[in-house]
Amino acid sequence: MHVQTISINPVDRLLSKGLQNLWYPVCPSDFVQDKPVSLRRFGYKIALWRDAAGQVHALEDHCPHRGAPLSQGVILGDRLACPYHGVEVRCDGTVTKVPGSPGCKLEGARAALDFHVHEAHGAIFLFNSDTHVDAPPAFRMPEELTSPEYSNFLCYAEWRTDYRYAIDNVMDPMHGTFLHKQSHSMADGDSKATFQVRETDLGFVFEKAGQRGVNFDWTEWGETDMHWMRLEIPYPKTGGPGGNFAIIACVTPISPELCAVFFWRCRRVQGWMRDTWRFLYRNRLEARHWTVLEQDRVMMEQMELDANERENLYQHDIGLVRLRRRLRRLAEEQLEGSGAA
Amino acid sequence: MAVERYLEPHQARQRPATLFEDLLGDAIERAFGEGVQTLPELVAYINRSGPAGENGEAWTEPSFAALMQRLGH
Repeated sequence: MHVQTISINPVDRLLSKGLQNLWYPVCPSDFVQDKPVSLRRFGYKIALWRDAAGQVHALEDHCPHRGAPLSQGVILGDRLACPYHGVEVRCDGTVTKVPGSPGCKLEGARAALDFHVHEAHGAIFLFNSDTHVDAPPAFRMPEELTSPEYSNFLCYAEWRTDYRYAIDNVMDPMHGTFLHKQSHSMADGDSKATFQVRETDLGFVFEKAGQRGVNFDWTEWGETDMHWMRLEIPYPKTGGPGGNFAIIACVTPISPELCAVFFWRCRRVQGWMRDTWRFLYRNRLEARHWTVLEQDRVMMEQMELDANERENLYQHDIGLVRLRRRLRRLAEEQLEGSGAA
Repeated sequence: MAVERYLEPHQARQRPATLFEDLLGDAIERAFGEGVQTLPELVAYINRSGPAGENGEAWTEPSFAALMQRLGH
């Protein structure tokens, strides 16, 4: 049984829910079809739905009247009608109608929490904020997802662990040499290595000194009003002509012991090589990648939730140490900004 | 109690692979593994040691590319 320590430190409390004022992927696009759905993400229960034009909208799944789940209600275009008393709430959080008490103070009030939505790369992204945001920051992702020179597939999974273990796992390339030793793409490479941190415009790269293009040799942390990680793994010869296999990864907290992982598997490949890679991916590569990802999931889910409170780190861990420090700094800044520190 | 969670190994395909697709995939991987890099080489390899085209015909570069475009859209 996991024992959950209840933290009273505001920095820890904020970090355990997930930093605010960031875009987060919340689910694959096809999770939201013709009915509203309810998802728990970054400390909220959120109702998502599509209007007749297919546009996705998101409100906190909490009717401003009595807190009933709006997601159980009826879609009226850009509004949801609460199933409990028929209160209608628009996607910007405004209560447009209170059928039981027309003209009451609640009517016209912007009383519900709304989230900006962006749908891209096979996923739905929300801007996480605890207040109304008039215009969210621009949505920017790495070129592996935005450039037509690349092709990608999204792999989505939910892991029973704190989201920070999933992030630490990506920021620790050395586990590939050990945990994934038997995998189809990570058998080569030195099992001893020296790592270094290199600054970038958007974050930093944590890389093996003197080894590139052999194994899982580097990982990058990027901040573009969204937190993402990037890494590359060379394909074996059977992967055919084309560039390395690249992964863009995002992790979104669901609850203190559940997180959503998004791995976009990308390759710089075009023409018949692109189509053939995509055929092989559907036919067999996806299953192989899944097997590797399952090794990570099983390891993460077996970690006690407080495992990271008793560690003895060494040189290979400077990437995740650097990142943890960065996230704490961001949390402190957010708390200072909100006057809650 | 265990939390229910989404774990779906196959997210990219809408249906299980057919035997024909598996055999074709085997042949393509063997070809790449032996160092094939170009479309003409690949088509020649599959004609030598892979399944025949969907209607039993020999592969041509356009027929292979068209099938990959359909299956790899």
